[in-house]
Amino acid sequence: MNCFVKLQGLTKRYEDVTALDNVNLEVKRSEILTIIGPNGSGKTTLLRMMAFLDTPTEGEIYFDGAGINDNNRNHIRTKCTMVFQKTAIFDTTVYNNIAYGLRLRKCSKREIEERIREILGLVRLEGYEKRQTKKLSGGEQQRVSLARALTLNTELLLLDEPTANLDPKNASIIEEAIARVNREYNTTVVTTTHNMFQAESITERVALLLGGKIAEIGTASEIFGNASKNLAGFAMLENVFSGISRIREDGTSLIEVGDAVQIEAALKKSGKVTVLVRPEDIIVSRKAVNSSARNIFEGKIVGISDLGSTVKLNVDVGKSFVVQITKRSFSEMRLNLNSKVFLTFKASSVYTV
Amino acid sequence: MWEILEGIRRIIELFGNPVVLETTFRSIYVSGTATLLSALLGIPLGVLIGFKDFTGKHFVKGIFNALLGIPTVALGLILYLVFSHSGFLGFLDLLYTPMVIMFGQAILITPIMISLVVHAVESVDPDVRDLARTLGASETEASIAVLRESTAGVTLAFVSCFNRAIAELGVAIAVGGNIRGLTRVLTTTIALEVMRGEIEYSIAMAVMLLLIVFVVTLAINLIQRRRP
Amino acid sequence: MERKIWIWTTTLVLVVITSVAGTAYYIATSTGEKLVISTTTSLYDTLLLDVIEDQFEAEYPIDLYFISVGTGLAIKHAQRGDADMILVHDPSRERAFLENGHGVCRKIVAYNFFAIVGPEADPAEINGLSPPQAMIEIVEAGRNGQAKWVSRGDDSGTHTKEKGLWNDAGLNRTELREEEWYIEAGAGMGTTLQIAEQFSAYTLADMGTYLKYYKDNIITLKELVTQGEELLNVYSGIAVNKSMHPKVNFDGAISFIEFLISERGQQIIEDYGKDIYWRSLFYPAVGLLKENTEPATVQWIKNYAFFDGYECPPEYQNDHPELYS
Repeated sequence: MNCFVKLQGLTKRYEDVTALDNVNLEVKRSEILTIIGPNGSGKTTLLRMMAFLDTPTEGEIYFDGAGINDNNRNHIRTKCTMVFQKTAIFDTTVYNNIAYGLRLRKCSKREIEERIREILGLVRLEGYEKRQTKKLSGGEQQRVSLARALTLNTELLLLDEPTANLDPKNASIIEEAIARVNREYNTTVVTTTHNMFQAESITERVALLLGGKIAEIGTASEIFGNASKNLAGFAMLENVFSGISRIREDGTSLIEVGDAVQIEAALKKSGKVTVLVRPEDIIVSRKAVNSSARNIFEGKIVGISDLGSTVKLNVDVGKSFVVQITKRSFSEMRLNLNSKVFLTFKASSVYTV
Repeated sequence: MWEILEGIRRIIELFGNPVVLETTFRSIYVSGTATLLSALLGIPLGVLIGFKDFTGKHFVKGIFNALLGIPTVALGLILYLVFSHSGFLGFLDLLYTPMVIMFGQAILITPIMISLVVHAVESVDPDVRDLARTLGASETEASIAVLRESTAGVTLAFVSCFNRAIAELGVAIAVGGNIRGLTRVLTTTIALEVMRGEIEYSIAMAVMLLLIVFVVTLAINLIQRRRP
Repeated sequence: MERKIWIWTTTLVLVVITSVAGTAYYIATSTGEKLVISTTTSLYDTLLLDVIEDQFEAEYPIDLYFISVGTGLAIKHAQRGDADMILVHDPSRERAFLENGHGVCRKIVAYNFFAIVGPEADPAEINGLSPPQAMIEIVEAGRNGQAKWVSRGDDSGTHTKEKGLWNDAGLNRTELREEEWYIEAGAGMGTTLQIAEQFSAYTLADMGTYLKYYKDNIITLKELVTQGEELLNVYSGIAVNKSMHPKVNFDGAISFIEFLISERGQQIIEDYGKDIYWRSLFYPAVGLLKENTEPATVQWIKNYAFFDGYECPPEYQNDHPELYS
């Protein structure tokens, strides 16, 4: 049977809150599944169930065909591992952190040394063995946590928001590592995210979790391609606007989203629509640029977030846009709160959901 | 100016004085053993209380916190009454021995030990336990992992208790009797010699006491910070 | 990580070894016979007892433990059976100690005199007066704002003596205590002297402590009134009654008393301090009483420290009449 982990009628209740409500899910062996949903939808709870850290209030979990109960739970737990959203580390060296699980499994010292060297290469932290983990940067710590989990070569790998709050460089290292492990060892991977763009790159299947229930499940292209209303339901998708679209003679559409903002989109849609522009597709400049891009807006910076090597900006052009630029560009352009900037993006960068 | 230097010179000379050295070793021996005894009971108990959630936990913690501030003279008096030959533990014949001081100091510092250990254990990142479990640890192994994360706090508890014990006067003098060559420790010597007017001698003892406290605290800090 | 574990284990092992070794050492050295003597600070702080201890322990296989506290507490210790004998200087309380059945075999071993000391300027002009007169003058000067008095106020033998002085002068101490010039220290002799020094006040001091403090330049107060029966200070040793406290080392106590009253013991007492202060701090009492070498002093002692004409009334002599022959 191809189904590796099966959740049947899974329900988890705390006091007065139902975190998971009759969840039915089948995870295929060796697949990469992403569970997407807004904060508070129960993603972490679901993952913890699959990691056998918590027990369900109702329902059954089957791991590789076997039902899980109090007798075998501890044993099965060694076959999967979870990387938490909030990085947890032991207050010791990188080496000892990664070695922890290996030592529990009674690996020989030589084997441990080799595996650690290998895994540090995978997450691009070569030579970091003796460094104190608590003194590393956030991104580096996250990579150590990942290395610590990956090195155990468990059959099931669970990752809770692995790339949230990471700059693109760290995020891509992590995504690469996960993909490689899945490829080379056939590890089944389940991740969660609240940002669909982070999921898109490596995942095969996507499940949408809303309010403790699985709303939809399908391949990535099915879910994102259709751009269902459910997906747009949560605000972590940046630059989502609803408006009225009008088709023009040249085949493009002009969408009025309010506050005198009109967006040109390279698609044909009329009537009420919800559109979306990815922050990475927007160019920021001090002066208006001459280009083929159809959408140019002038506004001012109303919010700044430092993500390490990149900076996220909130720009008010009538409506608020979220854009992303490199730190270098940020300082070169000498940007600040209230700086006047121009936003430019192509009509083809506009998605409808 | 000259007198101060002279005084300092005489004080430094006193460090070689055999009685001073004997008293210093006795202080360390008595208070060190008291701390060990207290740790034997206090660390397991503190860990238990820190780990478990039970009804009345707040109340229990409150009691230990209150006991932190026992006045040593009051404790000393109570212990004297208990161990005196007319007291109900008098038959043990422990009064005026180093043992009873050890016991008394252990009682004094155990609330401190427990409170600090509980705090140390509770301050550990709550995710650590789950982290250990998801990496394959059994419940016991996970508890050990949490304990390992709290060693800094537990060490602090141990050192704080030792410093408290070696620096206290009330218990040592009440149940020890300050007997020359037997139960005379640094603090009781200082008390006695100041009353006798032996100021330089007292200062030498006081400096000895301060040195011990500083050295112990410093050593622990260095070990904590030293990274291989 | 492993390095750290090594450091911790080594430290722990060291600590445990120290504890075990210390305890073993203690057990090994404390198997001998021991004698616990409750005594007063005015005797102990002169270090006379350290000398006596060394000499006694050289001859006898007994470990002496001196507990030095105020006379009141020394007696309480003994009453609880925590001491084998007492060595104090408060005849009225010693009498009660005997009469309450706690003590037996009392022996007067030494005597000296208290002194009323005060600032060199002597504003109350008590120098050379008799003790009762001096006290009266001090009260007057105090009320005039010219002088102050510091009292031990700590239930010690010296304090009892002071109370006696107020009595002899016909004054009511309880009332005087409330007056501004009367400072109650609640402390030992050394601290009391230092307070008196600070306030340039008068106080009653035992010779031992006073001489030491004066010599060490801790105080500049002078001995102003040194003569008089009222200033007599008598030290006695009393063994704790074995019938009342079966666990006490009675034989040891008797041995020690015998040592104190022996020629050798008395000589040690007389010689003590002579090399430093060029006078004795304590005078041997045994020979004096036996041979009546200074009749006046002997009479004073009998007036002050004898009970119904006896150094130790026969009913408390407890089968050791040889002490009194």
